[in-house]
Amino acid sequence: MNKLIAVFKREYIQAVRKKMFIVMTVLLPLLMSGIIVLPGLMVSQGLGEKHIAVLDATGKLSDAYIEKKDSENPAAKVGSDMKIDYVDRSGDTALEQSAKPYLARFSDKSRLLDGVLLVPADAVANADARMKYYSRSATDFIVEEKLSSMTNQAVHRIRLAARGVNPNEIDRLMSTLHIDAIQLSKTGQQRKGGTANFIIGFVLTALLFIPSFVYGLEIMRGIIQEKTDRVVEVLVSSMTPAQLLVGKILGVAAVGLTQIGVWCLMAAGVVTFAGAALTFGGTNVTQFLRPSMFVYFTIFFLLGYLNFVCVYAIGGAVCNSDKEAQQLIMPITMPMMLPWFLLGGLITNPDSKLAVAFSLAPIFAPMTMFMRTLVADPPMWHIVTAILVSIATILVLFWITAKIFRVGILSYGKRPTIPELWRWVKVA
Amino acid sequence: MSEILAVRDVVKVFGSVRAVDGVSFTVRGGTITGLLGRNGAGKTTTIRMITGIFMPDSGTIQWGGGAGADFRDRVGYLPEERGLYKQMKVVEHLLFLAEIKGRKPADVRPQIARWLERFELTDKRDAKVEELSKGNQQKVQLIGTLLHDPELIVLDEPQSGLDPVNMILVRDLLLDLKKEGRTILLSTHMMGEAEKMADDIVLIHRGKVVLQGALEEVREVAGRNTLQLDFEGDGNFLGQLEQVEKANLANNTAELTLSEGADVQAILGAAIGRLRIRRFELGTPSLEKIFIDKVGAETLEEVMQ
Repeated sequence: MNKLIAVFKREYIQAVRKKMFIVMTVLLPLLMSGIIVLPGLMVSQGLGEKHIAVLDATGKLSDAYIEKKDSENPAAKVGSDMKIDYVDRSGDTALEQSAKPYLARFSDKSRLLDGVLLVPADAVANADARMKYYSRSATDFIVEEKLSSMTNQAVHRIRLAARGVNPNEIDRLMSTLHIDAIQLSKTGQQRKGGTANFIIGFVLTALLFIPSFVYGLEIMRGIIQEKTDRVVEVLVSSMTPAQLLVGKILGVAAVGLTQIGVWCLMAAGVVTFAGAALTFGGTNVTQFLRPSMFVYFTIFFLLGYLNFVCVYAIGGAVCNSDKEAQQLIMPITMPMMLPWFLLGGLITNPDSKLAVAFSLAPIFAPMTMFMRTLVADPPMWHIVTAILVSIATILVLFWITAKIFRVGILSYGKRPTIPELWRWVKVA
Repeated sequence: MSEILAVRDVVKVFGSVRAVDGVSFTVRGGTITGLLGRNGAGKTTTIRMITGIFMPDSGTIQWGGGAGADFRDRVGYLPEERGLYKQMKVVEHLLFLAEIKGRKPADVRPQIARWLERFELTDKRDAKVEELSKGNQQKVQLIGTLLHDPELIVLDEPQSGLDPVNMILVRDLLLDLKKEGRTILLSTHMMGEAEKMADDIVLIHRGKVVLQGALEEVREVAGRNTLQLDFEGDGNFLGQLEQVEKANLANNTAELTLSEGADVQAILGAAIGRLRIRRFELGTPSLEKIFIDKVGAETLEEVMQ
């Protein structure tokens, strides 16, 4: 037991002292909160102005392009500001020809244009008429979307006015209704949902997952280092490989818990002192932080962490050099990262069959189930099953790891094949 | 003297290789036992079984004296390839090594200070291991081997890769430790060093013990038919002399194996006529010679084929 504690202490102290730990502890939350804060910043600061020329052959739409600030809908604010030059080309039937000098300005630095919109003369009268939008960048769909909506609103107004509708009536008819997304849990508790919830789910799942991955790799590298530095011979002449392994894994787990502790303190500090400023798209973020979240985070963090660490410890035991490890990292990591790759889809469909299956499957359970507890309201038996499955997985993985460790840790030769590994498990 | 350790019929097979094939020997308390053999003879594998790194496939390893504590705590082991955590500070590392042998940090601190003093490493106590020279790293590891007062100190090639000064330093240290009453099992392929330190030898070849016993007895059995000569001049003719069976010549020294009943005086006469003799000694053969006789001939034949 004392030996186990000695290993535990050494792993913990050495890891906490490393730059990696400090970087992960401080930088990762900053990075993640950046993901939350940046879109807001982009909205308030803008990404720069886009200069657009509108060539209107109807001659009736001059009022349409005065942009109304829509404070209600955060989505409408994402994207760039526009500066629109309205050009009255009423009756112009050769609009394409007239557009040529404007298009030429796409490459003229002094009178730069970012886009040119052509509105045909029959835009109001003809229901099948089409506009044309030339743009310098193919990806500027937000600007295109805005122009389209501005023009269409104006065209609708004119069409309605032509049918004799009173202009005041038109405003009321054309008013837009916004959606307030509300998630209703089974207990009837209401909370605001939508985009913000998605992003918070994403960020917290990343905070859960990234350290497991990083420290998993750390333990793998640590074991390989012990092998290449030959420390391991001194270690296993002083204790059983199982003692060594348990000490190491618990040490690394304690490092992870320390990290969460620091994060919780940081979160508490931020919420206390700057909680009001934490807004995303007009919604205060702090309302998403519930106490149950911290409980689930800690539980699933530990489970996911131990899962990963065991798998990577096997990797470390079978490799003899960092080079060999490099080759092994991808095939080990890719399958374990599967839920991460599917995260976007799983978050938006947290109760789909796929999400449920992932959240109850070995290895995948901790990350996926945590995500579900964040954005949905999974039944308690799902959560309990996920925890039990994860604990069972850890025990099985640990048993395999201990066996492979015992043989592998002293084998300096060729990396073993899968059948050889299986023999190790059976023999040891 | 009481037996500290008894190795009986120990076998270890790796794949198709019988690395250790029925090795038996004992280590007496308060002595230095030399485990000798060529590279790959099975010395390290034997040692790894004694230190609990490998389990023998068959055979037993028995600890004498009081049972009780984990046998792993009764051994101090210096592996052939030194292994230390490069990022740790010297004192930290030594504390760690003592702790994994079941010692409390508070108990070993004074000892650490004493050992660092003895090895002139006191000023390096807070340096990281990677900042030390190779020689100093070896000293640190050696201290780590001794800190927990092991009943048996197992050293695998402790002098390999050392310069002559450090070699003497280690040799003197081991002899000092013996004087303090400690027991040492030492593996080496340097016969000269083994000769200077070992009380008992165990010669292993291809996983089997080919010769063992107290060093003096072993040499006695090999016979008092070896003539050691130090001289000035060209000694090549010595091998051609009658009654000389074999001659090992090096710079101005020769080890001659005489045939039975050889007339030593006649040989001396012949030598005096042509060489300036500095030393002339009739005695037991050197360990190196015994070693070569036991395992060398066979290996040489193999190389020829």
